[in-house]
Amino acid sequence: MIGKGPRARRTGWTRIMPGTGPAAPGPEGGTHRPRDRSAAPHRPRAPHPAGLVVLLFLGGCAGSQSMVDAANPAARQVESLWWLSLLSTGILSLLVIGALFEGVRRARRRGAEGADAEGPGAAGHGARGRAPEGAPTGAKGSSAEARTREDRWILLLGGLLPALFLVGFLIVSVRVGQSVAPPPGEPALTVEVTGHKFWWEVVYPEPGFVTANEIRIPVGEVIRVRVTAADVIHSFWVPQLSPGKVDMIPGRTNEIWMYAEEAGTYRGQCTEFCGVQHALMSLEVVAMEAENFEAWTEVRGRPVQAPRTAEAVRGLEVFFEVGCASCHAVDGRPRPAAASLAGPDLLDLMERRTLGALTLPNTRDGLAQWIVNPHSLKPGVRMPATRLEEEDLEALLDYLESLRP
Amino acid sequence: MSDPREPERERRLHQELSRIWAPPPGILGFFTAVNHRVVGLRFMVTAFVFFLLAGILAVAMRLQLTLPLLGVLSPEAYNQAFTMHGSTMMFLFVLPFVEGLGIYLIPLLIGAREMAFPRLNAFGYWVFLLAGIFLFLAYLTGHGPDSGWYNYPPLTGRAFRPGAGIDFWVVLITFLEVSALVAAVEIVVTVLKHRAPGLSLDRLPVFVWAIFITALMIVFAMPALILTSLMLGLDRIVGTHFFNVAAGGDPLLWQHLFWFFGHPDVYIMLLPGVGAISMLLPTFARRPLAAYLPVVVSLLVVGILSFGVWVHHMYTLGLAMVGLNFFSAASMLITIPSAIWILAWIFTIWRGHLEPLNTSMLFSLGFIVLFILGGITGIMLASVPLNWQVHDTQFIVAHFHYTLVGGVVFPIFAAVYYWFPKVTGRFLDERLGRWHFWLFLVGFNATFLLMHQTGIQGMPRRVYTYLPGLGWDFLNALSTAGALLMGAGSVLFLWNAVRSWRRGVPATGDPWGGASLEWATTSPPENYNFLRIPLITALEPVRAGKVQERGLARPPWLEELTEGHGGRRETTVTTVLAAEPQGRADLPMPSPWPFWTAMALSVAFLGAIWTPWLVPVGLVLTFVGLVGWHWPGQEAARGRTEGSGVAEGSDVAESPGTTTWPGPKEGSAPAKGAGRPPPPSLPHQLTGWASPIVWGVAFLIAIEGTLLLLFVASYFYLRMGTDPWPPAQVTAEAPGMEWVLPLVSQLLLLLSIVPVAAGVRALVRGRRRPLLFGLPAGLLLAAGYLVLKGWEYAGRPYRWDAHAYGSLDWTMGGYAALHVMILLLAGGFAWVLTLRRHFHPGRYTGLQALLLYWLFVVAGSLLFQATQFIGGQG
Repeated sequence: MIGKGPRARRTGWTRIMPGTGPAAPGPEGGTHRPRDRSAAPHRPRAPHPAGLVVLLFLGGCAGSQSMVDAANPAARQVESLWWLSLLSTGILSLLVIGALFEGVRRARRRGAEGADAEGPGAAGHGARGRAPEGAPTGAKGSSAEARTREDRWILLLGGLLPALFLVGFLIVSVRVGQSVAPPPGEPALTVEVTGHKFWWEVVYPEPGFVTANEIRIPVGEVIRVRVTAADVIHSFWVPQLSPGKVDMIPGRTNEIWMYAEEAGTYRGQCTEFCGVQHALMSLEVVAMEAENFEAWTEVRGRPVQAPRTAEAVRGLEVFFEVGCASCHAVDGRPRPAAASLAGPDLLDLMERRTLGALTLPNTRDGLAQWIVNPHSLKPGVRMPATRLEEEDLEALLDYLESLRP
Repeated sequence: MSDPREPERERRLHQELSRIWAPPPGILGFFTAVNHRVVGLRFMVTAFVFFLLAGILAVAMRLQLTLPLLGVLSPEAYNQAFTMHGSTMMFLFVLPFVEGLGIYLIPLLIGAREMAFPRLNAFGYWVFLLAGIFLFLAYLTGHGPDSGWYNYPPLTGRAFRPGAGIDFWVVLITFLEVSALVAAVEIVVTVLKHRAPGLSLDRLPVFVWAIFITALMIVFAMPALILTSLMLGLDRIVGTHFFNVAAGGDPLLWQHLFWFFGHPDVYIMLLPGVGAISMLLPTFARRPLAAYLPVVVSLLVVGILSFGVWVHHMYTLGLAMVGLNFFSAASMLITIPSAIWILAWIFTIWRGHLEPLNTSMLFSLGFIVLFILGGITGIMLASVPLNWQVHDTQFIVAHFHYTLVGGVVFPIFAAVYYWFPKVTGRFLDERLGRWHFWLFLVGFNATFLLMHQTGIQGMPRRVYTYLPGLGWDFLNALSTAGALLMGAGSVLFLWNAVRSWRRGVPATGDPWGGASLEWATTSPPENYNFLRIPLITALEPVRAGKVQERGLARPPWLEELTEGHGGRRETTVTTVLAAEPQGRADLPMPSPWPFWTAMALSVAFLGAIWTPWLVPVGLVLTFVGLVGWHWPGQEAARGRTEGSGVAEGSDVAESPGTTTWPGPKEGSAPAKGAGRPPPPSLPHQLTGWASPIVWGVAFLIAIEGTLLLLFVASYFYLRMGTDPWPPAQVTAEAPGMEWVLPLVSQLLLLLSIVPVAAGVRALVRGRRRPLLFGLPAGLLLAAGYLVLKGWEYAGRPYRWDAHAYGSLDWTMGGYAALHVMILLLAGGFAWVLTLRRHFHPGRYTGLQALLLYWLFVVAGSLLFQATQFIGGQG
């Protein structure tokens, strides 16, 4: 029942285009590999059914939340480590499984040949292999010496081969880990992200403003991300831009970094179960060209503007009357943790591409549904349903649609 | 054999043993039966029911995930479903099933008539059943837990989960662990003390080794889960702050403790399957297992290593990189013993003879392949950078289902097809079995092989739905189809099992040409397992044709062991390493008290959800149950009638050399011929470390000692993270003399041992009176400790809910006080039994056990006091 609402919206979803417009794939650092990012990252790239079965692990470079679609050198290093480990362990395990099947084939043949190939006497332990109906006994390798030899081989192969492989793999893995963990350069920007049930508060301490569920970053710069949580443990993960994920733990601050080579939109999602609506707690990182990013930050320094039209003024009144203001601030200023509100700041609402942490596109229609009955779209969200007269709703929407910094 | 009177003797022996070992009939009998095969089978059947229930939940979850944004399950229902699925599979299916398999098979594999503590076995089953039923009742009435089987706080704290769901989980899983722990102690002591003569450790079947090591791991791993769920329960119910950051607690403490249990738990589930495969491959390949010793050593090594890898579940917490690399290396090390198992299996097959593959063999081969695949993804996950990417995605779900379905469920099915004829006397149907295997195998891989890819493409785990357009739709749809195939396979198996149990092809005692001892008896075995306790002279006694059940070359004392003795249930006691005969254990008869005690204990646990005051009520009821349980019945009456014989026996127990142990070699003196069996030369009363009871208490102490040490570690973990310590909220304590009360109280408790120890010593030397006075004196001193402690805590200016400091302080005090109360009750009971001459100079093992526990309680109290002193320094 509950799923009905969102399903109705499926067609609307795919219409969302990246808010920053098509990016010019320009070389900005020596290490960049030009990639076509002009395609909308949200466009579904369905795997081809036929190819999928054959190239199960090789064909997985679609989707904007894929770890094998890395968008910076460090993430690419981890991606390479993945392919390397897949290839090496794949070959090893194929060898072992092959040996198993070859063993079964031989033992079957021997079993079928019966006792005449290697009689019970061959092993010198006629009593072994007591089997019903005169089945063959005394298999090859059941004499004491043969078994000692066998034990040695097993110890040698089972101990030495994995040890050699593991030492090699461990060295590579540790080196990759140590190379991707620290930021690749002096961070140009720090972003503080706080996990809430079930959205992301994003603070830019310098120059000092707050937004939600969308992190805008300049292309070609190292971004330091400090994460924590306001309620329960969440986890911050933008696979294409970061070396993995890091948990957001109440009372602690963890750090991770991001780096985007090219402008575009990169998806992230909460990966630590945080309650009923863990599933639809996603975020977006929008990498912008430096000048666009400058412009974007600049407007945030301006004082908050009062609504201009009469409808919007009425909308502001509704905003207070129906209680929106008890959870949502509209000033774009970061608040101390103790004074944090249950919902995101709405100052730049119209700049955001989605509502409900990427649950639905931010359109007037979507906004209306979200206000009237958010639980049909994102069950368990803390935003309550709001009963509104038609004209109040329209006024509120007018007001909300006027919100941009 | 040539003796013409032999068949007649065998018939008489069979009749007498059957009468002695028959489980009681009727409805009442159902609740009183203690036979290990009855209990083991109940464990397995019940666990399988839970497997089906958890499987239904799994299919429901898969249906919900078939397509994006489906509405099959609401998010609340989905979250409850995955929590119940995980908890049920882990705690209500795998663990009880393998424990049941162990309880059923171990006595058959080691040539015993019964396990060490039959009533404890029955108790463990009732606890398991009650916990399972209550958990599902809670779920079905809308109080299901909904925060995953790993229950991370603060999400599971009262603030975010006000409902009773998490309470039920915390309380019932802890309750359930009681069952796991008693079964573990039972298994450990049985394997150590009740092996047939000659079954030295180097002849122990691999399956017994595996279950034995599993049980040891349970002993040392489960306390961490008990401790941490106790802390969470206290946080939720009485308002302590173990996991509350705002008051000095730390939610990461939960994760450390949980995974300190959780990772060994993975191997606890895996090892029995490894052991089972190592039994049935040699049977089907018609040759001994290759590399027996390396395989056993690898089991041990994995058991030990598994305690040093828990942090690999916590790479994303932001811990120091050096530490992560250490745990990465440790985790990868587990590959080596696993590789030795796999190679041993391959060599065994390679150089063996195979009949056309039967279902059991198919599941074994499937297991090996899937275990390899689960192993290689395990290596990947041990790598820190890879783990940072795929952690908490569907890739993890795929990985651990390869290890837990491929590595645990497949070998369980292989074992079921293998031992079903032994248990029921009938074969499972092969044609249905093949269908079952192929449906399960194809379904499994369709579900989980694809799930690796879903995870690589970024789909997190524990999500009830996902948005379209992320490339996950098609993979999820296929996974769901696979899950349906697995479901169909399981249903087919159920049908096969039910049908074959009643109408399957009858099996002989040794239908597969097996190698180990269980095949030397009938299928299904008689209630006494073996007509005569066998003498073991080889690693694979049955295959070697060396099971001596007949009169030839059996020393006379062995012959005595096998006869029934006046309606008494008996089994052999042998030495720990070489299995030299030490004596005969008198085993208890059926009893309703284990059932009662389990019910009473459930009042204590479940009651805590409503009010903490029900806990003492339940504990008192439990004590009543334990008194009834241990009240001397027939066994004691026997002891009195045979007073002189017992005293004699105790002499022998102290110097086992007086029994003539011919060694497990052949060619010793032939058995005495006909006529009355000679008087017992092996003692009934075993004392000190010869006694299984003392070993049992020692492992109880191992469990509780682990709990204490983990608590102390937790204390210092929280202390390190809090500055200042003691925190400002609690430093209003009166200065100066605050060390006097603790010092005096600890001194009293320490002194309390003296009169008890002296009394027991005197009893051993033949005088009863010193104990009759010494025991009350010791109890009085212990009571003095309680009073002083009560006074001390009454003067505390802070309570447990002031700060984590207070929580630790009060919990340690409460824990010590609870144990001293247990001493008071147990000591009082022992005094009554001494007064009634149940304990006398020929029977005092119970008092030795009490003394041992007393020592532990004192040591634990001192340890806590030291922690408070040292930790409390600013």
